[in-house]
Amino acid sequence: MILRLVVASLTGHRARTLLAIAGVAVSAALLLDMVMLSSGMRESFRSLLTSRGFELRVAPKGTLPFDTEATIADATATAAALRESADIAAVSPVLGGTIHLPRASGSATSSVALGVDPELQGDYVLLSGRDPGPAEIVFNDALLAASGRQVGDTLTIAGGYDPQLRRFTSPRVVRIAGRARFVYLAREQRAAAMPIAALQALGGAARRDRASLMMIRAAPGADVEAVRLWIAARLPKVTAISTATAIAQVEERLSYFRQLAFILGSVSLVVGVLLVGTLVTVSVNERIGEFAVLRAIGIARVTIIAQIMLEGAVLMLAGSLLGLALGLVTARYLNTILVSFPGLPQSIDFFLFQPRAAWTALALLGVAGVAAGAWPAWRGASLPIARVLREEAA
Amino acid sequence: MGVGVRWVRRSRPLRPLCNPARYPLAIGAAFAFATAAAGQGSADSMRTIAIDSRLAADAGLKIGDAVVVIAQPGERGDSVRIAAITSPSADPSEVSRQEYRVRMHLDQLQRVTAYGDRVHRFAVQTRGGASVDRAVAAIDAAAFGFVAHRSKDVAVETSATFAVVSRFHRAIGVITIVASAIFLLCILLLKVDERRRDVAALRLSGISRATIVKSIVIEASVITLFGTAFGVALGWLATLIVNSHYQAVYRTPLRFALVTPQTIAFALVLSIVLGIVAGALAALRLARAHPLRLLGRR
Repeated sequence: MILRLVVASLTGHRARTLLAIAGVAVSAALLLDMVMLSSGMRESFRSLLTSRGFELRVAPKGTLPFDTEATIADATATAAALRESADIAAVSPVLGGTIHLPRASGSATSSVALGVDPELQGDYVLLSGRDPGPAEIVFNDALLAASGRQVGDTLTIAGGYDPQLRRFTSPRVVRIAGRARFVYLAREQRAAAMPIAALQALGGAARRDRASLMMIRAAPGADVEAVRLWIAARLPKVTAISTATAIAQVEERLSYFRQLAFILGSVSLVVGVLLVGTLVTVSVNERIGEFAVLRAIGIARVTIIAQIMLEGAVLMLAGSLLGLALGLVTARYLNTILVSFPGLPQSIDFFLFQPRAAWTALALLGVAGVAAGAWPAWRGASLPIARVLREEAA
Repeated sequence: MGVGVRWVRRSRPLRPLCNPARYPLAIGAAFAFATAAAGQGSADSMRTIAIDSRLAADAGLKIGDAVVVIAQPGERGDSVRIAAITSPSADPSEVSRQEYRVRMHLDQLQRVTAYGDRVHRFAVQTRGGASVDRAVAAIDAAAFGFVAHRSKDVAVETSATFAVVSRFHRAIGVITIVASAIFLLCILLLKVDERRRDVAALRLSGISRATIVKSIVIEASVITLFGTAFGVALGWLATLIVNSHYQAVYRTPLRFALVTPQTIAFALVLSIVLGIVAGALAALRLARAHPLRLLGRR
């Protein structure tokens, strides 16, 4: 009987019911989006950093990896010192730089270049071909497109340009050995990777035996924080950054989005609760005569309260389910906006659907909405029957 | 030119002043700008530098303090005296980076960093707007390997991040507007529905449908107008809180939220239009119904 009464009540005011469901759906969608935003960046960045199995990054003292032009001097000795620790399984030095691909016209295509240890590197995923050997290089799709080259081509690259002599410096002939996707670079960014010794040689004396960072893979079972502290004590000229520290630093830089997510999420929760609370209150006020009659014919007060709260629950449930679909669509759209940040790694997402967080948020909205109808329901079911019937009859 | 340098206080044993755990974004590195226009050395022959107020506060430095600037840990560096403390600029691109800024003489920075006779860029001032294109063409033609950029082009390029944030805000704004429109429609529908007995009484006493609809629409407009005024006041208060909070967090004079006349006008027009539409829809529903039905007698 309760269900029949609930259906009758909700279908009796179709416009109101549809508007309420739409309102709850938009609130739920916004809440879901904000939950996805608040945790998405962190999880996405964590996944990016740990995807290649390196738990620590060693950068020049006081810098973040590639945050400045500073480099680690005596890279070979530094790497050897790091390998002394039994807790370190692998050390992969990386040098960042720029290479130029001279054209016949005299102009050039420039690109980011990473000098890596091809056997240990964690910066790119090979899509076709093979890792670069001596006098070899791998390009990403953006650079292949910009240079009009393909895997297997041989070309000349240069490490710099001398404006006085009007010629490219340190030219080298290399062969494109493979096509790669660079994990930490933006999709549209032109990039190449080559053995670190080759890139050091391209940079001349200023780059001799230097590295921008070293990626460290801890031995199985090793305490990463202990390794970080050991590096800090052993090598005072470098800073070791763990994945957790890097995530905390990125979070601090992007704290705006987390706080925006918290504020808008709270507002959407309040709006959803207010909407259902208002609707249930008005609905109860309109139907106090009906409730008095039900009470007069022997229907228990609890049954009436249950009926009213069930109406709120149906509104919240329908709105939340609609909001879930709406939220996923809007999150996808909002994500496409934010991932167009210049220079953002292509695998970073701002909105990440995490079932547990999403269900918790929607359940919170549902429970809060249903609870918002509890007081009007109790009040509606507790009015003096005789007085209400007399007033309604008048 | 701009490069990373480190600084140590000279009066104490050499040590990095920045604690990476406490200042994770600066991490002992300062972004130093050398300027050819900076003055010459002070009377005691020590060269002078200017530091920003964030660095001064965090490192406990003040004008007149002697410090050593070094490019790499372990190097000898140069002793300098702090001659000025500058305010951070209200530049959005600097907000999230939280870097310290040190301004040095160009030649000194080149020497400290072993950068040679090099600079990252020249800022060129032209005479009048018309001469910009000629200057760009002349510079580009003068030496291959140099590229001249108009300041406005650089501004567009560097503001790409904020264009993305702006698009994101607009999208969130649209969702919020849709949510508030539905909420407003619901509330006005309920409010008008509550008046069904009054409307029935008015209709039975001979008041026309048009008059009732008009009166309800006017009532909805007035409610919306007052609601909007309250909302504007609330929004203005929110901007004060937001600006105060984020200016303190990021230590910048940048204003993060603004209530402009255009924003107020947009909110006012949108709310009133929504209010009138919602009021009219609800009023028409009531006016079309038979008065006795509104009274529950049919």
